[in-house]
Amino acid sequence: MDTKTLITEAKARFNHNSAKAYLKDKYDSKFIVADQAGLWRANLETINFLNASTDEQVILIDTFNNPVKINRPDLLQKLNDTYKNTMEEWYNEWVELEKKR
Amino acid sequence: MSKGALLFAFNSPKYNYYEMAVATAKRINHFLNIPVTLVTDSESLPEQQLYTFDTVVITDADKTNKRDWGLWYNKGRYRAYQLSPYDETILLDTDYMVNSNKLLKTFELPTDFCCHDTTSYLMYPNAGQEALSANGFNTLWATAVTFKKTKRVEQIFNSLEMIQQNFRHYANIHGFISSTFRNDYGLTLATRMVNGHTMPKEDIIPWNLLHIGNKTTVHKNSNDEFNTEYTVMFDNWTRGKIRKEYITIKDTDFHVMIKENFMELISE
Repeated sequence: MDTKTLITEAKARFNHNSAKAYLKDKYDSKFIVADQAGLWRANLETINFLNASTDEQVILIDTFNNPVKINRPDLLQKLNDTYKNTMEEWYNEWVELEKKR
Repeated sequence: MSKGALLFAFNSPKYNYYEMAVATAKRINHFLNIPVTLVTDSESLPEQQLYTFDTVVITDADKTNKRDWGLWYNKGRYRAYQLSPYDETILLDTDYMVNSNKLLKTFELPTDFCCHDTTSYLMYPNAGQEALSANGFNTLWATAVTFKKTKRVEQIFNSLEMIQQNFRHYANIHGFISSTFRNDYGLTLATRMVNGHTMPKEDIIPWNLLHIGNKTTVHKNSNDEFNTEYTVMFDNWTRGKIRKEYITIKDTDFHVMIKENFMELISE
C-alpha cells in the first residue's frame, strides 16, 4: 500500500506541531560548522560580530568554550554561506509543510 | 588517514541483523561514500553473501544478554577499537537509517571521540532525555560513535570492556537495572571515567540523535533503493480513542527502535 492510500484509509491528520519541531531539529544541526580548529554555529550573533570587526584575526569562543584565534574573513564567508543555504532550504521545506492539511 | 564505518551484526533467534547490516552498509556507501567493515559470527553469515563488505571480521558472539523481547547479542562492542581497520571510524547500529551525508561532519569535529548525548523522538516533540537512573547521569548513546585511534579512545573502549564485565557492580553504584546489558550505559560510564568523571562538550555530537519510538511507524514513500522520503505515522491516544497523525520527512537520518519496522523499510 502506498503512503497516500495509507493516510487516506487511516484518516490520518497532518501534525503541524510535530512537523515544525522536526524541521527545527533537522536544520539546527546544519548551522554547525567545523573550521580553523574550532566548532561554530552560523547564527546571527556570530555573523554580526565578525561583520562588525575589521581585524584580520580575532579570538572567538567556539561552541566547545575554547578560545580560538581565527582568520575573520574566512570564517565570516563560511558562516554566511552556511546560514544562507540552510535558511533557504528550511524556508522551502516550511512552505511545503504549510500547504499540508 | 583511512575512514570507514563499522557494523556489528549477530543474528538472534528473532531478528536477522546481517540483513539489516547489508542494507545499512549499502546506504553508508551511497550517502557517505566510505567503506564498511562488518563484525559478525559464522552463524550469522549466509553461504551466499548479499553484499561485499570492505572487510568481514568473524568472531564469536557473546550470547549472554537478553531483553524483554528475547535474546540480544549486543555485547562485545568494546572490541570496535581493536577490530576497526580504519584510522577514523563511524561505529553504527545496524538499525540506523542513513539518509544523508550528515555523519561525515563528525569526522570534521576537532575531537578524537564523539557520540550523542541528546535525542529527539519524531512525533514526541517534548520527550525528555534518558538518564541512567532517577538521579543519574544523562545517557550517552552508542548508536552512532565516531572515533580516531588514540590512546584516550583506546582507554574509553578498555573501560567499556571493564564495565561490561562488571555491569552488576556499576548498576548497583549508579542505580540502574543490570539484567540487560546496554552499551549506552556502558559508554556513558566509560567516557566519564576516562574524562576524570566529567563530560567534556568535545565528546558530544552537536545535534540530536533522532529516534523512531513507540506507537510510531515509518513508511517509505517510494521503493527506490536509496529512497530518502518517508511518512511517519503516530497513534495518538486521546480519551480512549486513537487518532492517527502523520508527518513527512526527507533527507534525515534516524534510528528505528522497532526492528520489525526497520525490516519493513529495507524490504523491496
